[in-house]
Amino acid sequence: MTTYHLRVNGRDHAVDTDPDTPLLYVLRNDLQLNGAKFGCGLGQCGACTVTLGGESVMSCLVPVSVVGDRAVGTVEGLGTTQAPGALQQAFIAEQAAQCGYCIAGMMMRAQSLLAPYEQGKGAKPTDAEIRKHMMPNLCRCGTHMRILRAVRRAADALPVKGGKA
Amino acid sequence: MAPASLDPAARPRPPKRRRRLILLAVLVLLALSAFAIMWRPAIDPQTAAPATTDFDAATIERGQRLAAIGTCAACHTVDASRPYAGGRALATPFGTVYSTNITPDARTGIGQWSEAAFTRALREGVSRDGHLLYPAFPYDHYTQLAQDDIRAMYAYFMTRPALAAPAHDNEMTFPFGFRPLVAFWNILYLKREPWQPDASQSAEWNRGAYLSVALSHCTACHTPRTKLGGTDFSRHLDGGEAEGWYVPALNEKSPSPLPWTREHLAEYLRTGIAPDHAVAGGPMQATVENLRLADPKDVDAIATYIHSYLAKAPQRATRASIPGRLPAPAASDPDLARMQAGHAVYVNSCARCHDLGREATSGAALQLQKAVALYDPDPRSLIRIVRQGISPPDGEPARWMPAFGDILSDEQTAALAAYLRRYGAGQPQWEHIDDQVKKAKQP
Repeated sequence: MTTYHLRVNGRDHAVDTDPDTPLLYVLRNDLQLNGAKFGCGLGQCGACTVTLGGESVMSCLVPVSVVGDRAVGTVEGLGTTQAPGALQQAFIAEQAAQCGYCIAGMMMRAQSLLAPYEQGKGAKPTDAEIRKHMMPNLCRCGTHMRILRAVRRAADALPVKGGKA
Repeated sequence: MAPASLDPAARPRPPKRRRRLILLAVLVLLALSAFAIMWRPAIDPQTAAPATTDFDAATIERGQRLAAIGTCAACHTVDASRPYAGGRALATPFGTVYSTNITPDARTGIGQWSEAAFTRALREGVSRDGHLLYPAFPYDHYTQLAQDDIRAMYAYFMTRPALAAPAHDNEMTFPFGFRPLVAFWNILYLKREPWQPDASQSAEWNRGAYLSVALSHCTACHTPRTKLGGTDFSRHLDGGEAEGWYVPALNEKSPSPLPWTREHLAEYLRTGIAPDHAVAGGPMQATVENLRLADPKDVDAIATYIHSYLAKAPQRATRASIPGRLPAPAASDPDLARMQAGHAVYVNSCARCHDLGREATSGAALQLQKAVALYDPDPRSLIRIVRQGISPPDGEPARWMPAFGDILSDEQTAALAAYLRRYGAGQPQWEHIDDQVKKAKQP
């Protein structure tokens, strides 16, 4: 057992666990952040997607020992039921969830695409860029088209810092 | 123009002045010949792009199949919804070249190009308006195409939807931004000879040779290049590089730990997968994505031709035939700490699909002792596969491997490569693994 200091959604946590423990298990079992889901455990489905240092990763593949000082972001950090964030609002507006199991991962995958643009770095993503970026995440219900529309909607609605539209 | 020294009026002139005149004449001659080498005339624009009805459907379809073998879309299509609109960046040692719009748009594409202009571009690397194209466009291969095939591809491209997409400015390092310099490259590397079949080989082999060399330009990546960026013909299929990847040798120098059969190769070229042997990664993915649209008989012919060289690879005893998981590092390993770190990454990240967890997946992930990338002369391709994973083409079913670039640290990636090289392939350790990891991170 080793103590790992993790920064998740802006809050610091200390967790005692084995170095090989997947970040997904730490988030769900130790920190009670159950947004990220266990799907396949093989990096094939994307239900466990979170952001790590701003990039989206499949947390089932990330041993806790490699996280280091990189900030972890989960769907709980995007907003709450009472006050959903911009991305969550777009998913609701497009009714992009059917069973919903993949949606937390979908939103975190989208978050890593939209965050740099929101911060005034880079251009607004094109439809093709959104498709390409979202490609690793699967939805077994088949709402991919709605999910793509929701990401498009979120990209178009984002308040961009620096006034660039 | 007569040399100055023969001019009777010049005779009484003092020698110093005469020397200066000779020098001037030589310079003028040099300038004139350089101009003749570098300058190409414009070909008159055609007033309107040809209509679909100008070509018969069979020719257009043949052109489509040929364009797939030429892998035109690999560079000229960036966004699948805007085919052939260009804009893909290709990093070369001489700068970054952007592919151009080859749809029949009159203003930004090739709508004003007659068949003569199209032919000259393919055979000589000259744009319709006379400017020289960079050899990132493989006209040094296309120059050997049969006119009939060029005509079919012209028919295909002229009947695609016209898309407005202006060319992106190239970012060349000095002095390569000056396009006329390409003329001197052409003197060295553009062999404008018609295709010659080899009478001692079968018709299928010859078809494959023509398609591989003149159209699919396999040798553009699989044969090394000289310092000046030309194909080194003396080292046919010795292996090269493309976009930061090692491109395997396809002859007796093949790094493959398992011998290729012709059937395996044909399947690999059509699908990107040779079961239990190899999966296409990196730039080869775009190639198979195109080849799947080609005439299957033509792809078989390419396999026949390439396999005639691959078959020269000697049978080797490799670890590929040893089943089971990769071992933990030996306690006596001189590089034990690093090997243990690499082994830990292997167990945590790789083995769940490639080894112990194979039954949990479709069992299709290659056992790593069979992976060609472990046997390459350098770790570039392995590091890139680990960092980028393998993604299917847009909208197509294919193999998928997650990207580990944002998961593993540089040290872990390097340790994994070193571990796999020693305990997966059992080959002498690569040099400069850490440098290659850093290079792979550059965009």
